[in-house]
Parts: sequence; structure tokens; C-alpha cells
Amino acid sequence: MAWIAFLMFLIVMLILLSGFPVALTLAGTALIFAAFGILTGTFDPAFLETMPSRIYGIINNVTLIAVPLFVFMGVTLERSKIAEDLLNTLSMLMSEVKGGLGVAVILVGALMAASTGIVGATVVTMGLLSLPTMLKAGYQPSIATGTINASGTLGQIIPPSIILVLLGDVLSSAYQQAQLKQNIFRPETVSVGDLFIGALIPGLMLVGMYILYVLILAKMKPSTMPKWGNKKSNMGRKEAFSDILKALIPSLMLIFAVLGSIIGGIATPTEAAGVGATGALLLAFLRGKLSLAKLKEISRDTARFTSMVFLILIGASMFSLVFRGFGGDSAIQNFLTSMSSGPMMALAVVMVIMFCMGFVLDFIEITFVVVPIVGPALLAMGIDPLWLGIMIAINLQTSFLTPPFGFALFYLRGVAPKSVKTIDIYRGVLPFVAIQLIVLFMIALWPELATWLPNQL
Amino acid sequence: MSEILNRLEVFCNSVGRCVAWLTLIMVFVTSIIVIGRYWFDLGSVRLQESLTYMHAAVLLLASAYTLASGGHVRVDIFYSKFSEKVKGCVNLVGTLFLLFPFCIFLIWFSLDYVALAWQIRESSKEAGGLPFPFPVIMKSLIPLASFLILIQGIVIAAKSLLLIHKRDH
Repeated sequence: MAWIAFLMFLIVMLILLSGFPVALTLAGTALIFAAFGILTGTFDPAFLETMPSRIYGIINNVTLIAVPLFVFMGVTLERSKIAEDLLNTLSMLMSEVKGGLGVAVILVGALMAASTGIVGATVVTMGLLSLPTMLKAGYQPSIATGTINASGTLGQIIPPSIILVLLGDVLSSAYQQAQLKQNIFRPETVSVGDLFIGALIPGLMLVGMYILYVLILAKMKPSTMPKWGNKKSNMGRKEAFSDILKALIPSLMLIFAVLGSIIGGIATPTEAAGVGATGALLLAFLRGKLSLAKLKEISRDTARFTSMVFLILIGASMFSLVFRGFGGDSAIQNFLTSMSSGPMMALAVVMVIMFCMGFVLDFIEITFVVVPIVGPALLAMGIDPLWLGIMIAINLQTSFLTPPFGFALFYLRGVAPKSVKTIDIYRGVLPFVAIQLIVLFMIALWPELATWLPNQL
Repeated sequence: MSEILNRLEVFCNSVGRCVAWLTLIMVFVTSIIVIGRYWFDLGSVRLQESLTYMHAAVLLLASAYTLASGGHVRVDIFYSKFSEKVKGCVNLVGTLFLLFPFCIFLIWFSLDYVALAWQIRESSKEAGGLPFPFPVIMKSLIPLASFLILIQGIVIAAKSLLLIHKRDH
């Protein structure tokens, strides 16, 4: 009865387009299909009985406690205007260089990404902060928006990204399943920390190539991104320097402390996130930006984001349960393993499907719905889980940047002034999409780019 | 009528806003755990477990509040362009056919599961973990959260109905 599973998949996609909340659509549609299946004798009701214990497993998951803590840290940094100060000081530092403002935006994007990891939020914040400045400085709209879009999505790949936490958790259980099927009873594991470390080199490659592109463009077409002299640059060098120190050093220290303790194996991601959140609170307090009202906002934002993520996880769990009940899982696994050209072809097919799903669904949904279904099959073919995780992350990041459906483009369109044409946004992002694809193919060709560093530590 | 609806929504919201403070406590508890482990070589299973319990309470009990404040992700390619009336229709139909069945299903199926845990006075599986009734309370949060979402669903359905109706006249 696998065709019912695929029909369900199709119908869920259609209902999702109506705009009803994703989590409830996934769960509700799956339930309706299960009910029909039970009535027609094509679905075993015993599947549904496991749902409460599956939810219990989700809320009892220790790895995922890192999610609210990282969100808390990110929201605190954002609400205390630390990102804003970063951008101001960095662009001041770079105002003498051609294309300097563009480079500053990329660097802040990478740093902010590292501290928040929420894609939409980063693109919106960057759009509000830097787009007016860049346009005023005389940057071509397409180049300004392209840079902002690309930098805003870095949050998915640069650790400590929340998305990597979720992906790491889903991958590790898929990996265990894959090994159990092959009768390996002392399975190897892949952890969130491993994924963080593995994402480091690819993430830095992306940042490096973005910057290179902007600098080359500034050299070749100087008129598209003029030097940027603002009032503050007339200030004494000493003063400027101390300003930069004040804005940059504490936040950099925080980010490196969080990342360093995970990479060094000193702390688990959850512990690092908790300490990072405390550090962010301390920073905000020292800057006089912390009040009871702010704390209230921060904790409410955190709670709402957390519960949004987990309701999707619960809905997706219901969906994949029913999908499996109709035999969809084994049909997909048979399809993937029967491919004559081997695991690389199977991987390529999965990647293309995920890329297209990225036009409709966000990272979290794709991680929770697709990875549990295709993950075990791919991993059982001997594909490295770390490599798979990094490929998925970059693939989806590229999907979110690709016109005309990319998510990031919508977010930026929402905050960009009317004078910026939509076609400018599309055109400006294309070179960055090309960079993404280059990095994706490089990692496909040389998996060591993702797997070497984790194996060293 | 709308008075009752408002009260129900306020109730769901206040539950969510209360548990939201737990995120702040979680941050502090994690830091205490880290300090205890790395500086004093102290570990507490109970403290660790309290983190899990707070986390569970936040993600489950804040769900209705998140729903009320529009925090659950939608695919808004088309939705953002719909008129208020069409949005109301989407929310009404979705709530009736997707939200209600799922919440009722969860309440129905998890009640037995929770009742069993109460009966056997389940305590933590970890040695030195939190005793009865904490683990059972955590399980009970599943039907409780489903109930809260159901209430908020009723509010949304009724409000959507009013919205659609109002525009007709």
C-alpha cells in the first residue's frame, strides 16, 4: 500500500500551501489518512498506539535541550543590539577599502549566524541594519541585496547553528537504525558536536569565497561599490580603535568560548549553550541593556521558538509514523538501494528532491520529515553520516537562496525599500548561488573537507 | 460569547507566559551544572533531570500560547496574499479537520499511557534521579498540552467564524 503513503505526501504538500500551521497540517493529515487506512484495513492501528511514547521520547531528548539555550543566547544578543554595534564598528574599520562595507556585512553575517542560527531572523535583521547603509553608500542594489541574502543564510552552516543541532540528532538516530539493520550491535555514533566541527571548514570556505567575490568585483567594477566614508571615520584613530575593541572583543570572546569548548571536547553542546546564554546575559547587563521587561521578552521569544520547533517535530513524527505504516519507508528504501549506479546516484536523487522541497518548506520541517525516511537507507549504503549532514545543510542553504522561490529572498523582499526591484534581488544573489554550488561540489568530490577535522579531534 | 473566548485565550496565554520564565531558569541551571562539574567535580542527576523537565514543560505548555500569537510556522507563499476572510476560512477548516482530530487523538491515546504511569507510581529510571511523581507529571503534560491547544483551537475556530460572518453583512 505504499502508493497511499506517496499520495499522503502529495496531499500534505498541497494542504501546506494553504498556509495552515505546518506542524498541525502534518499531524492532522497523517491522522486522517490513518483513519481511512484503518477503516479499509490497509493500516495497522497498532502504529498509532506508539504515538504517546514517541512524544515522550521527543520531550525527553537530552541533546535537544541545546535548542532553547542557543535560541536564548541568540535572542539576548539580538535584543541588546550587540549585532548592530558589530556592524557599525566593522564597517568603520573597513571603510577605507573598496568593497569594505560588503566584506563587513559578510563578516557580521557569519558572526551573527554563529550566535543565532535562525535564518529568517538573520536575513531580516541584516536587511534592516545594512541595506539602507549600503544603498546610501552608493552600492548597486543587486550587489547589496545579494550580499545580505547570502550572509544571512550562513547561520545554517556556521556552528553553533540550531539547525545543525536538530540535524545532528535526527542523523544520529538514522545512523543507529542503519547499523542495527546491518546487524552491527555496537553502533558507532555521530554527535551534534561532530557535526559542528565538520561544518567549520565548509562554513569558512563559504565566507572566504563570498569575501573574495566581493573584493574582486570591487576591483573590477569600482563604481558598483564605492568606498564608504562616514562621519565617524574623521574621529581620532585611538578613539575609533577603542570603540572597535569595545564592540568586537566581548562578542567574539563569547562566540569563541562557546565553539571552543565544544570543539575542544570540554563541554557538550547543551552545556556550551547554557554558558553562552549566561555570557550573553552578562554582556547585555554590562552594556546596560538588560531590564526585567527585556528579560521577559527574551524568555517569551525563546519559549515560542522552542515550542514551534518541537510541535513541528511532533507533527513530523506523526507523519513519518503513518508514512511507515503504509509501507512508504520500505518502498523508498527499496527504490534507493535498487539504483544500479550505486549510493552516489541515490544521494544525488535525494539531494535534488530536498533542494526542490526547500522552495516550500523550511529547514526544520525538511530535517524532521525527510531525513528519518531517507537517512537510514543512505547510511546503510555506507555513506558517511557527517558528510551527509554537511551536504544536506549546504544544499538546503543554496535552495533558500535560489530565485524565484528561495526563502531568504522573500524575507529580504519584506524589509527592502520599494526602490529595490525584486529582479535586483534575484540577479544579485545568483553569483552567491554559484559559489554555494561550487562549495557543494567540492565537498561532494572531497568528503575530507567535512570529515577530516572531526576525525582529528 | 466573545467574552468567554477572550478569557479562554488569556488563560492559554498566561500558562505559556509563565512557563516561558523556565527558559531563564534553564540557562542558570545549565551554568550551575557546568560550574559544579568542572570546578568542583560535583554532578547531580536530579539537577540534570530538572533541566529535561523544564524543557518539556516549556515546549509543551507554551504551544497553545505560540498558536495564539501566530508563532507556529506557516508556508506563507500564498497565505500572506490572502484576504482576511480567506485567511479565516483556512484557519477554520484547518482547525476543524486537522487540529481538533489530532488533539483529541492525543488526549485519548495518552490518557491510558499516563494512567498506567500513575498506577505503577513510576519514578526516574536513572539511579539518584527524581522520584515519583515528577516523571509521571512530565508524562501528564502530554494530554494537558493537547487540551490547551484544543482550547486555543476552539478560540481560533470561533473567531474565524465570526470574522467570516461579519464580512458577509
